[in-house]
Amino acid sequence: MNKYTVINPHSKFTVLNTHVHNIDGVAKVTGRAEYTFDVKLPGMLYGKILRSPHPHAKILNIDYSRAMEIPGVYGVVTGKDTLGVKQGIWRRYKDLCDEQVLSVDKVRYIGEPIAAVAAITEEIAEKALDYIDVEYEVLPSVYEPLDAIKKEAPEIHEGVERNINVTRHIEWGEVEEAFGEAEYVREDWFKCGGQAHMCMETRAAVASYTPEGKLTVWTSTQSAYYHQALLAGVLGMREGDIRILAKYVGGGFGGKFELDGAQFCSAVLSKKLFRPVKIVFTREEDFIATKRRTPMFYYVRTGVKKDGTLCAREAKVFTNGGAYTGMGATALYLTGFFHSFPYRWKGYRYDGYRVYTNTLPSTSMRGFGAPQAMFCSEQQIEWIAADLGLDPIEMRRKNSHHEGYEVPGQATIASCGIDQCYDEIRKWIDSKGKLPANRAIGISACGFMSGGIFNWFDTPYSFSSAVVTINQDGTVELHVGAQEIGQGSNTTMAIICAEALGVKVGDIKVHSGDTDHCPADLGAWGSRQTLMTGNAVKMAAEDAKKQLLEFAYAQSGLNIVYDLDIKNGWVHAIARPERGEDFVQLVRKALRGKDGQRIVGRGYYTPHRKGMISPAYSYMLQGVEVEVDEETGKIKLCDSMTAHDCGQPINHLGLIGQLEGAFSMAAGYGYLEYMPFEDGKLMNPNLVDYKMIRATEMPPANIAEIDTYEPEGPYGAKEAGEGLTNPTAAAIGNALFHLFGIQMKECPIRPEMILNALKEKKEKEQEKKGKK
Amino acid sequence: MINDFNYLKPGTLKEALAMYAEHEDCKVICGGQSLLIVMRQGMISPEYLLDIKHVKDLGYIKFDAKDGLRIGATTTHRAIEKSDVIKKIYPVMISMENKLASIQVRNWGTIGGNLAHADPAGDPGAVLIALKANIKIGNAKGERTVALEDFFVDYFETVMDHELVLEVHVPAPEPKTGAAYQKFNLLESDMGIVATAASVTLNDNGICKDVRVVLGNAGSTPIRVKRIEELLIGKAYDENLFAEAGKIASEDCEPVADIHGSEEHRRHILGVLTKRMLKQAWEEARG
Repeated sequence: MNKYTVINPHSKFTVLNTHVHNIDGVAKVTGRAEYTFDVKLPGMLYGKILRSPHPHAKILNIDYSRAMEIPGVYGVVTGKDTLGVKQGIWRRYKDLCDEQVLSVDKVRYIGEPIAAVAAITEEIAEKALDYIDVEYEVLPSVYEPLDAIKKEAPEIHEGVERNINVTRHIEWGEVEEAFGEAEYVREDWFKCGGQAHMCMETRAAVASYTPEGKLTVWTSTQSAYYHQALLAGVLGMREGDIRILAKYVGGGFGGKFELDGAQFCSAVLSKKLFRPVKIVFTREEDFIATKRRTPMFYYVRTGVKKDGTLCAREAKVFTNGGAYTGMGATALYLTGFFHSFPYRWKGYRYDGYRVYTNTLPSTSMRGFGAPQAMFCSEQQIEWIAADLGLDPIEMRRKNSHHEGYEVPGQATIASCGIDQCYDEIRKWIDSKGKLPANRAIGISACGFMSGGIFNWFDTPYSFSSAVVTINQDGTVELHVGAQEIGQGSNTTMAIICAEALGVKVGDIKVHSGDTDHCPADLGAWGSRQTLMTGNAVKMAAEDAKKQLLEFAYAQSGLNIVYDLDIKNGWVHAIARPERGEDFVQLVRKALRGKDGQRIVGRGYYTPHRKGMISPAYSYMLQGVEVEVDEETGKIKLCDSMTAHDCGQPINHLGLIGQLEGAFSMAAGYGYLEYMPFEDGKLMNPNLVDYKMIRATEMPPANIAEIDTYEPEGPYGAKEAGEGLTNPTAAAIGNALFHLFGIQMKECPIRPEMILNALKEKKEKEQEKKGKK
Repeated sequence: MINDFNYLKPGTLKEALAMYAEHEDCKVICGGQSLLIVMRQGMISPEYLLDIKHVKDLGYIKFDAKDGLRIGATTTHRAIEKSDVIKKIYPVMISMENKLASIQVRNWGTIGGNLAHADPAGDPGAVLIALKANIKIGNAKGERTVALEDFFVDYFETVMDHELVLEVHVPAPEPKTGAAYQKFNLLESDMGIVATAASVTLNDNGICKDVRVVLGNAGSTPIRVKRIEELLIGKAYDENLFAEAGKIASEDCEPVADIHGSEEHRRHILGVLTKRMLKQAWEEARG
């Protein structure tokens, strides 16, 4: 059983800071939750997508006349049926919008959509794909960024020199001067792998276009609002004529806030045929034709003083962008930013190059560039400590962020619990005593953001909004645009609303995942919803409460110096809690007093004056105990402890779930989840060959939650669901370093790599002996 | 996507054999844990499926001290795992079954189906060959029994000629016999990247009287390494010999490289596992 401890708890809440089960749990475990897969409409057709077998080719001709002859086939669409819009989330930066989804004249990776068929059954649609004749002119392709950047490499996007898609530069301080102060400098190259998002629910959409010119799309998304707007852009429609429905979503992990083939092709087919069209990706399609975590080559040079004071760091990164930009430009920035975390650098310089290749596009994935950054940084820090004979925890501690620290030009740290994290992990290590000879502990520190301040989407709306409506019986309708994707967003919002309003979680009905009825919100990515939508919900609930308390005050006859409050549905003077009345009674009176108008509270949030990146930062330090079979290279994670600062926990159960989930994904990235390509083709697009930690084999995930207060977050809360994806790969690497003295510069760390490193080490030692 | 097929559901073995004889393009299903995967991938699309899950006469575990163990073809992995007599007499089968996929798969998958599928990475094949098992197969015309080591012909191919697996027979172990099995994988319940089963029988002086080492997923079928038998029979406990046996195992195999490991890596691991399993089986035989 995992241990969960809260260090210095400091809060007094009624609903918040307790253990609340997910409010949609019953619907899910009883099978009543309707996912996109479950949607069935009258006259609905089933769609299938024809995909490119070539990594790079011109499409000369597509002839689907034979497919149309198959009984049951209703229609086929190709790029010619679309407006050919090059789209992307980068509405402010048009040159980064480079993906047509349904290719018009060229394909750039194996799996890219070329045509889509709608038929009365899925079987017929699939069969029809074989009867679409495509004429290609195969072009030379390139798969690795360090090859694609060469002068003679094939051009993947017209006019993009050396296939460099985006560059990002971050710099502060006098870097060379700071290196000059260093007494020890170390440089290393690393290679970080990709990773599949692997949502339980594959990409899916049901699109229904009606003659009135309205489109409704049920889909699996992290942001209903983004998909409403993106579809409007590619279909030439008004946002308001498109309704996105996404009440239940089976996971996102950063892979479901861009337009995907299921959404686009079903919409284009439905618009052509005036029939609802359903497209559900197979698991294989979800692997080969969506996007993935960005593989990166990292060069890191770090200068320190002999006492362990960090002076300067320089990093150069080349990422494998694959065929399109996706969210890769942000991943490129964030990897460079979080590579500096959680330390204070006098001089810091980062240059990132995102390079197009003819492979599956890469994009955001839980951690958003930081897991790669930490794999490199946290191992190098450990090696430096060893090189200098310093205690790795103390060396980290003396250089760490603290409350009030300003990352020059980037961010101000308003809350930071990392110092206590070091204490907790030290205690955990000490409690383990002497480990067996085949085991070692590795640690890794990191931080993460609580939502992005970026508005590449150029939305005119607030980043988050909420509306609270109180019914006559005291029940509450909460409308949010925050997207529930299985992470418990609806529960979090219900808790914040109940706490602010002074009622129970069960009194709140959360409405989300419907663009017709919910306010716009950027959605579930970058760990933004708890802070941003949470602030909007708190504001909306407080607005409604204030209106109610005005009535309460008017009838109370109290001196105006008294304060009123509502707790547990009891409206009372704070100084005299026994004097009060029932919340429902008050609501009824208030309704009468307002001529029957309902009490409606509104709230919104857009970050201001919070720097470049995020309104708040979480911190954590993780220790993992790793066992390695020296003869086979097999890794086993025996135990783990994470000391974690997410500000004020809103819901301990939700927090534990998020941390365990992030840890399993992070560990998978560290030693299991591996995406090998051969000639642009993914070699393991299935769950037999793509290895993920199973529930039955999940290593212990103990947590020490450091309770801090983040002034920008609702009730002091900040990020909790994503940051823990960052440290584990490095922690595993560090355990191997302590066990064998080997340095693992590539992840995921697979058994064969460990054996090779051991062999290399042995050979080097023998060479040394020979010389002596 | 799985193509349409005709579903046949016999009630007795006789009915099953008759139906099977009647349809040539017919595959046998009894849990579908292997079959449905290849059907879904479109690798095969049989016209008929013969579901023998409910055939009464094929689900049993019987043990007789002289005759040994007899397991009916439709016996589930879970039933084997839960069997007291197997736990007592053939504990290696329990440890093998414990790590065969997940409980859900073991609840549904059967021993006959596993062997008939003839995936060289299948766990029971290597273990049962090490235990000198035989397999009874048959069709409407008659039955025959073959040694399990002769049953597998190639990847997903057996000696069966439109026949059904009827029964697995494992001889009663000789006194002072120990057996061990281990697969190398990244997750405990995965199929083995490679695997080794070993069985050792000692005489009263602790000298090796009989030994079998069978390698799993090291070629197109489970591989019985006879050179190791030649090396060890007549010898006393010696860890250097186990290491030497490991070296032989890494030579006498034909593993194929894929994303889970190079050929060299697989040979190396087979050597390590062979060394370890021989030691473990030997120590168990010594008691």
